Amino acid sequence: MTTLLQQIANGIALGATIGLIALGYTMVYGIIQLINFAHGEVFMVGAFGGLAVHRWLLPEAWQGDWYISLPLMIVGGVVVAVTIALIMERFAYRPLRNAPRLAPLITALGVSIVLQEAIRIWFPNAESAQAYPKAFIDAQVDLGPVSISASKLLIIVVSVALSVGLQLYVTKSRMGRAMRATAQDRDTARLMGVNPDRVIVLTFLIGAALAGVAGVLYGVDITNVDNAIGFQNGIFAFTAAVLGGIGSLRGAVIGAFIIGLIKTLGGQYMPGGTQYDYVWIFVVLIFVLVFRPQGLFGEAERVRA
Amino acid sequence: MTTTTATVRSRPRITLAPTLAKPLAAAGGVLAVIAALLPWTTFVLFDNDEVNPSLQYFDAPFALSGYRLHTMLLGLAVLVVAFVPRIPGRARAQRALGFGIAAIGLISLIFLSYNGGGVGTVTAADGDAAFGAVVALVAGVLVVLSAIAAGITDIPDFPTRLPRLAAYGALVLAFAAILFLVAETLTAGGRSGVSNPYAGPTFLAFLGMAGGVLGALSGVGVVRWISALSERHRAFSIIILVLCALSLPLTSAGNAYWMTVATTIGVYAATAIGLNVVVGLAGLLDLGYVAFMGVGAFVAANLSGAATSKLGIELPFPVAALIAAILAGIVGAIVGSPTLRVRGDYLAIVTLAFGEIFTRSAQNDIGGLTGGSNAIPRIPDVELGGTAFNEEIQVGGLELPGGVLYYFMIVLVVGAVMAVFANLKNSRAGRAWIAIREDEDAARAMGIRTGKAKIMAFLVGATLAGLAGAIFAHKLTIASFDSFKFLESVTLLAAVILGGMGTIPGAVLGASLLFVLPEKLREFDDYRLLLFGLALILIMRFRPQGLVPDRVRRAELAGETATGKSIDEEEALVVEQEHDGPTGKKGGTA
Repeated sequence: MTTLLQQIANGIALGATIGLIALGYTMVYGIIQLINFAHGEVFMVGAFGGLAVHRWLLPEAWQGDWYISLPLMIVGGVVVAVTIALIMERFAYRPLRNAPRLAPLITALGVSIVLQEAIRIWFPNAESAQAYPKAFIDAQVDLGPVSISASKLLIIVVSVALSVGLQLYVTKSRMGRAMRATAQDRDTARLMGVNPDRVIVLTFLIGAALAGVAGVLYGVDITNVDNAIGFQNGIFAFTAAVLGGIGSLRGAVIGAFIIGLIKTLGGQYMPGGTQYDYVWIFVVLIFVLVFRPQGLFGEAERVRA
Repeated sequence: MTTTTATVRSRPRITLAPTLAKPLAAAGGVLAVIAALLPWTTFVLFDNDEVNPSLQYFDAPFALSGYRLHTMLLGLAVLVVAFVPRIPGRARAQRALGFGIAAIGLISLIFLSYNGGGVGTVTAADGDAAFGAVVALVAGVLVVLSAIAAGITDIPDFPTRLPRLAAYGALVLAFAAILFLVAETLTAGGRSGVSNPYAGPTFLAFLGMAGGVLGALSGVGVVRWISALSERHRAFSIIILVLCALSLPLTSAGNAYWMTVATTIGVYAATAIGLNVVVGLAGLLDLGYVAFMGVGAFVAANLSGAATSKLGIELPFPVAALIAAILAGIVGAIVGSPTLRVRGDYLAIVTLAFGEIFTRSAQNDIGGLTGGSNAIPRIPDVELGGTAFNEEIQVGGLELPGGVLYYFMIVLVVGAVMAVFANLKNSRAGRAWIAIREDEDAARAMGIRTGKAKIMAFLVGATLAGLAGAIFAHKLTIASFDSFKFLESVTLLAAVILGGMGTIPGAVLGASLLFVLPEKLREFDDYRLLLFGLALILIMRFRPQGLVPDRVRRAELAGETATGKSIDEEEALVVEQEHDGPTGKKGGTA
């Protein structure tokens, strides 16, 4: 029983990380119907951005105090992730806005490879996994029968807070309304005075910022990062977004928690153990796409892909 | 209204007076010839340089060889094209030649100044002057400018109704030229895998030259003419092509190393043609395609008596390969079955998921069938009449290099696959696939059983990949999950797209390029994937229809109509005709 609860706690923490990435996937897809394959890499460069801040910018005196170093690392991660995402949007995706759907998907694969390789080649020593600073309280928190590290708890809190904030922003603010309008019908939105280019840029920006936060928190929790974390977590996040119903913010977050639980519980209880936990996620993905392609919360008419 | 509207490109970025065309071309051509004769570097670049102990390769004025000879020939070609009257498509040819010259100059410039420690190496240092590379670059740019000044016109069409013998002769010549080019490309910069410090740039410069020449031939319409001829005489072309490929071991590329590389290329080419059925014809994006090749490889490995195989069965190769292909086909049909409900990029993700499940299972040695991280080693050689396929063989007085039999086998397989694909494309099934690709709902409304057709596409493609995988496993004598990862699927997809979706030469060309380039450019090994990713982005941005575009497909991917004109042009024409009223005609006078 304790094992089960413990794995559920681990799964929720993993789901919180994936959820932050999945929001970026689902927003971009909702607005320009692009599977931004490179979004996982944005998460990865975010993690490396935070690492760079810690390694080269923070004075040693500050490194011990997490309440100074962690926010600065998060800012660094977000800045790097957003910069990369905006460059990517401007030079890789925007020229293909009216191209057939295959073209941007393949471009996204290219961007993903370029980002992975750029980190491997140019980030010092990044050919192998890099130790990540424990820039948060290094302690276990006991919650009844389960014990969870403080950094995992932080991810869960931050992730839920940011998702709620994003949901409010999209439903209540003026710009959020513009985003929803653009997602529904770009041409009509343009006629109503919305500048679709600005909305799309903002979408990439918000998605990348969330991924950057997720990258830094992930690194702090797992305490090592390499250039492959983006691909794997990106696939998980995409699965989560599809499971929740792509285009739906709430769906992405709930889907992410489900994926996190499948991975930890599947690794614990399914035949093959953790070696096959990855496989169960894909099995779920296939079943969802085949039998309920609109996902748990998606609108049926949006699925014409 | 001018008479040139129909032929001039719609959006020229730079405009130059047409009168400048000839002087610019003359200047560029002469400069290219001069560049070839100039020294290219001021000192010997590498200590203990065995290839070029003196500067001979770079400055001996009348012993031209290699890239300098190419520069000179391209320069002379520019002069010929510029001043021989009535060459059709002149500007396109000029532009290609100019890019070729500029490429040679630029590649050498970068390589020499990088290795020589600065631009002094290619300009002047210690009293020596060496402006060859700079002058070649300038010459190339001038020639390109002259082409722009002249105005890029449409590629001309030549009649393809020739007497049978004349057509056959032209085809034989063309394919022999291709064979020569392939052999030269493989051996450019070094005959084997052992590379000298100049191998990479020499090879790239050669590619620049070859690209320039091919571009020029394409510009004057020769390439289009040849491909139209070969369409018309398809059976003959395939036979000649296979014969040409079979004689590759007799050329300068005939050693064991290049036989191995060529066999690998053949395997990937066959797989790429299979993928072309799924993606190019039926329009179903598959991101886990290499898994079918993996299934073929592992099945063949287990059935052929490999040392660690648990089954302990040893079947002769043809039987094992056949079973491998059939099983891969069945897996393909299973993977393809979600197409009944899922479309577009969702389908791509489903195939990606299947591919990842395959890789992960193979990595964990599922059922003891894949060897996990130890792979399945020591798969026995294919044997025929007591001769192992990796041995050197002697036919009469001819000594053929080791591995040549594998090469022959894969050439025959690729030849057969090409023949099947060519017929498939025009068959009922092929037309059904193309209809589905263009508009699935319309195809269904026309009475095509879309579900059956789509699963069929997966089945055919996967069978081909399985067969290729079986040969691959035997040639390498090892089957490892490492060879069948996501990146390989992306590379195959890139090969199909780079070559041109839906075309056979495209798939073969794409596979060759993507699997030869890393072999030739080992100096850049660390940057290989980075460049690959960049190439994907750039191709999608600038030439999404690929190097050898399909006539129909081109319309879809590049915003061009089936006639080859850009949509902008056609619209411009329509607008102008409307503007001119009923009497206005294309080509009418002002």
